[in-house]
Amino acid sequence: MTPITTPRECIHPAARMHAGEYADGKLSRREFLTRVTALGVGVTAAYGLIGELPAQAQTLEGTPRMGGTLRVQMQVKALKDTRSADWSEIACTTRGTCEYLVEYENDGSFRGMLLESWEANEDATEYRLRIRPGIKWHTGEDFTAADVARNIERWCEKNVEGNSMAARVSSLIDPDTGKARDGAIEIVDPMTVVLHTSFPDISIIPGFADYPAAIVHASYDPAKPNELIGTGPYKLTRIDVGLSARLERAADHPWWGTDIYGGPYLDTIEYIDYGTDPSAWLAAIEAEEVDMLYESVGEFIDIMNDIGLVQSEVVTAATLVIRPNQLAEIDGKQPYADKRVRRALSMAVDNAVLLELGYGDRGEIAENHHVCRIHPEYAKLPPLKADPAGARALMEEAGMLDFEHDLISIDDDWRKNTADAVAAQLRDAGIKVKRTVLPGATFWNDWTKYPFSSTNWNHRPLGVQIWALAYRSGEAWNEFGWSNPEFDALLEQALAIADADKRREIVAKGEALIQEEGVTIQPYWRSLYRHMRPGLIGTEMHITFEHHHYKWAWAA
Amino acid sequence: MGLFLLRRVGMMILTALCLTVIVFVLTNLRPNLEKLAKTQGNFRMSDEAVASWLERNGYDEAMPLRYGQWLGVVPGWRQETDQGVTGRCLDGTIAPEAAARAPRFCGVLQGDWGFSTVFREEVSTIVAKRLGLTGKLMLWVLALMVPLALIVGVLAGMREGSWLDRGLSSLSIITTATPEYVSGVILIAVFASSSVGLKWFKGTATGAMDHANFENFFLPVLTIALYGMGYIARMTRASMAEVMAAQYIRTARLKGVSFSNVVIKHALRNALIAPFTVIMLQFPWLLNGVVIVETLFNYKGFGWTLVQAAGNNDIDLLLAVSVVSVLVVLTTQLLSDIGYVYLNPRIRIS
Repeated sequence: MTPITTPRECIHPAARMHAGEYADGKLSRREFLTRVTALGVGVTAAYGLIGELPAQAQTLEGTPRMGGTLRVQMQVKALKDTRSADWSEIACTTRGTCEYLVEYENDGSFRGMLLESWEANEDATEYRLRIRPGIKWHTGEDFTAADVARNIERWCEKNVEGNSMAARVSSLIDPDTGKARDGAIEIVDPMTVVLHTSFPDISIIPGFADYPAAIVHASYDPAKPNELIGTGPYKLTRIDVGLSARLERAADHPWWGTDIYGGPYLDTIEYIDYGTDPSAWLAAIEAEEVDMLYESVGEFIDIMNDIGLVQSEVVTAATLVIRPNQLAEIDGKQPYADKRVRRALSMAVDNAVLLELGYGDRGEIAENHHVCRIHPEYAKLPPLKADPAGARALMEEAGMLDFEHDLISIDDDWRKNTADAVAAQLRDAGIKVKRTVLPGATFWNDWTKYPFSSTNWNHRPLGVQIWALAYRSGEAWNEFGWSNPEFDALLEQALAIADADKRREIVAKGEALIQEEGVTIQPYWRSLYRHMRPGLIGTEMHITFEHHHYKWAWAA
Repeated sequence: MGLFLLRRVGMMILTALCLTVIVFVLTNLRPNLEKLAKTQGNFRMSDEAVASWLERNGYDEAMPLRYGQWLGVVPGWRQETDQGVTGRCLDGTIAPEAAARAPRFCGVLQGDWGFSTVFREEVSTIVAKRLGLTGKLMLWVLALMVPLALIVGVLAGMREGSWLDRGLSSLSIITTATPEYVSGVILIAVFASSSVGLKWFKGTATGAMDHANFENFFLPVLTIALYGMGYIARMTRASMAEVMAAQYIRTARLKGVSFSNVVIKHALRNALIAPFTVIMLQFPWLLNGVVIVETLFNYKGFGWTLVQAAGNNDIDLLLAVSVVSVLVVLTTQLLSDIGYVYLNPRIRIS
C-alpha cells in the first residue's frame, strides 16, 4: 500500500472541517468517514485528510485462491422487482449480477462501484455523479449516464406498488405526477449525471447503497424478475424459491472491478435454504452441508464458537423497536393515542435488562430515540431511568391500569426473548400484559398495524434516514402511527444540513421529542455475527447484511 | 364390484370438490388476500397499494366466479390496460390480438392447475416434484417400518404374557406415544449434534433430496418409522395373540406339530389380515406425519410444500395439495377394502 500524498483536487469544504474535528478528537473515525464519503470524498482521500492509511479489510487472513465453490445458508426468497425488494436476502441473490452505484463498507464509508466519484454542492441540493469508465453490461453494451438516469427515474415512480426506493429519492420526485420531477435528473455528458434535489438532501448517496437500489438493464421486466442482465462478475444461473440459488462466475464477461478492487475469486456460490430455525442452520453447518451462515443469532453464537467455527462480528445500528401503534383501535378505542399510556410503557422497562435477557448483552444500550452512537449526528441526552412506580402511577392516571396489553412478536430467538422481557417488566410494574407469538410466515403481513408489537430494524448510515423512513408522518413504514408536525418540521430541517455538527443541534431536539412522546421502546443496538468454516477470506459479516461476492475466496 | 368402484370414485370427486370449496373460501378471505398482496408486492406496502394490486391481479371478482375460473367452467378474467391485456390464461401483458387467440377457459378441467405465487412455478410441476421426494421418503419408511413392526408384533403375540411380549410391547407403546417432533429432536441431539458428540448421522436431510445416503437419510426415515411401527406392532400382536388362542392352533399343537411350524404355517396368514388394513390406513397418516418431519429435517417434499403454501396463502398450490391429499387418502382406503376381500374370503363387497 502506497502512502497517500494528494487528496483529490476538489474536496468538499465541510470535509476539511470534519478532518479538523477528527484531529481535535470531536469525531470518531467511523463518524468522520461516514460524513465525508457521503459528501463525495473518496475513501482513500478521506483517510488522506486525516493522515492515515485505509484500513485493510479486517480479514480472515491468507492469500485468496482462484476458483472453488462456497455454500452459504440463506433463505432463498422469490425475486421481485428490484426496487420493491423487501428482504436483504433478495438483494444478496441478485447482487452478483446487478451491481450498485455505491457500496457501503463496514467502516462506515461509501465507495464508488458503478460511480467513480460524486460531489455535493455546499447545501446538498446538487449532486454530480461521475460514471466509472469501461463498464460493460453482460450484453456487451457500454454502461453510460443514460443507464444511471433511467434507473433513478425508475426509483422515482412512486405509484408503483411496493417501490420502496421512492422514499429514498423523494427529493427528486414531483409529488403531483408521482414520477421524477422535470429537470431533476440531468445527463450532462455520457459519463456524468447531475441530480437537482427539491430540498437539501443528504441521504441520497446512502440511499443509492441500500439494497433495493440494484442497477438493472434497459430490458429488465419486473414481471420476470429471474431474468437478470447486469454488469456484475456473477450470473444467477438457477433459483428455486425456498430451496437453493446458484451464482456462477461470468467467465465470458471481464469484470471492471478486477483491476480496481480485486476478485472475483470463487467460481460458484451456492445459497441453500434451511428455513428460519437457527437450530436447522446449526445442523446444516455441523453436517458440513454449508460452509457459511447468513447470520448467527442468540445462544447459537456460543455453541458455534465452541464447535470450532470462525466468528465474524460487526457493530451496527441494527435494532428492534417495541412500540405501540397510536392509531390502532381495540374495541373502538385507541388506547395508545394517549401519551401517558405510551410514556408509562417505556418508563416501566429498563433497557439494560432487555439487552441482557433479550440479546445476551451482545450490543449496546440504546435510548428509545433510534439514533445510535455511531451515527454522525448522534446527540447525547441525559440517560434514561427505569421507573416502574412512576409508570404505574401514569398508567393509573390515564385510567388504563385495567387494560390488558397484547404484546405481539415474531417467533424467533432474540425478538421473542426481548418482547418476553418487556412483558415481564411491565407485569412487575403492575401493568397487565399478554403475549402473542406469531410464526415468521404470518407475522409480517400486518406488521405496521399491530397495536403493540416488536419489529427489527436494520442498520442505516445516518440517523435521520431512519427517522425519514419510519418516524415522519404518513410514511409507509411509520409503524408507530405517530404524526407530529413539530417533529416533521425538525426532521425537514435536519435533512437539509450537510454539516453533522449543526444537524446535531436539531437532532437533539428530535431525540428528546421522541422520548418525551413515548413513541417507542428501542432498547439496544445489536452486534451482528456470522460463523463460517475455517479457510475463508473476505467473508466478514456486513453491517447491512450485504454479500460482496467479489471479495469472497477460499484461502490458498 | 364395478358398481362399488364407481361409487367410490364418485365419492372421491365429491370429497375433493367439497374440500376445495372450503380451502378456496378460507384462502380468499379478504385479510388473506391482503397478505398475499403484501408477500407478492412488498410487505411494507400501504393499504391503497394493496387494494390496487388486488384489483389489477383479478382478486376483486366475486368468490364463486373465481372458484368457477379455477375449476374451468367460467371464462378467466381479463383486464385491459394501456400496455395491453392481462388476465388468467394469459402470460403477462400481451397485445389484444394475441389475447383474442388465447383460450378463454383455463382451469383444472382443462388440465391447468394454476401458478404458484410463492415458488413462481407451475403448480403441476411443483406437486409432481415434491410428491416424488415424499414418495422416496415414504418408500424407505415403509421398507423399514413394516418388516420391523410385523416381526416385533409376531414375536410379542406368539407367547402372550412372556418376558419377550412384555418387553416388546413396552417398546412399541413408548415409540407410538412419542410424537415425531419429540423423537426427531432427541434423535438429532443424540446422533447428529456435537453436544453429545456421536455425530453418526446428519441432522438435516436437505442433501438427501439429490443424493440420499444412509448418513443423511436415516434419521428422518427412522423418526417416522418408529412412530408408525409401534402402532402396527400392537395391532399385529393383538391379532397374533387372538389367533394363537384359537382352537385349531391348540389342535395342531396337540397333534404334535412343532411350535415354529404352528406359527409360520398356521397362525401367520390369519394373523396378518388385521395389520394389512392398519398398514393401508397408515398412508394418509404418513402424509401428514411427513409435514412435521420434513420441516424438522428440511427435506423439501410434499409436507414442506403444504406448510409453505399455507403459510404464504398460495391459493392455487394449496388447492392442488388438498386435491392430491384427498386422492391419496381415499385411494389407499379403496385398496385396503379390496385387498381385505382377497385376504379374507368371508367378506363380500357389493
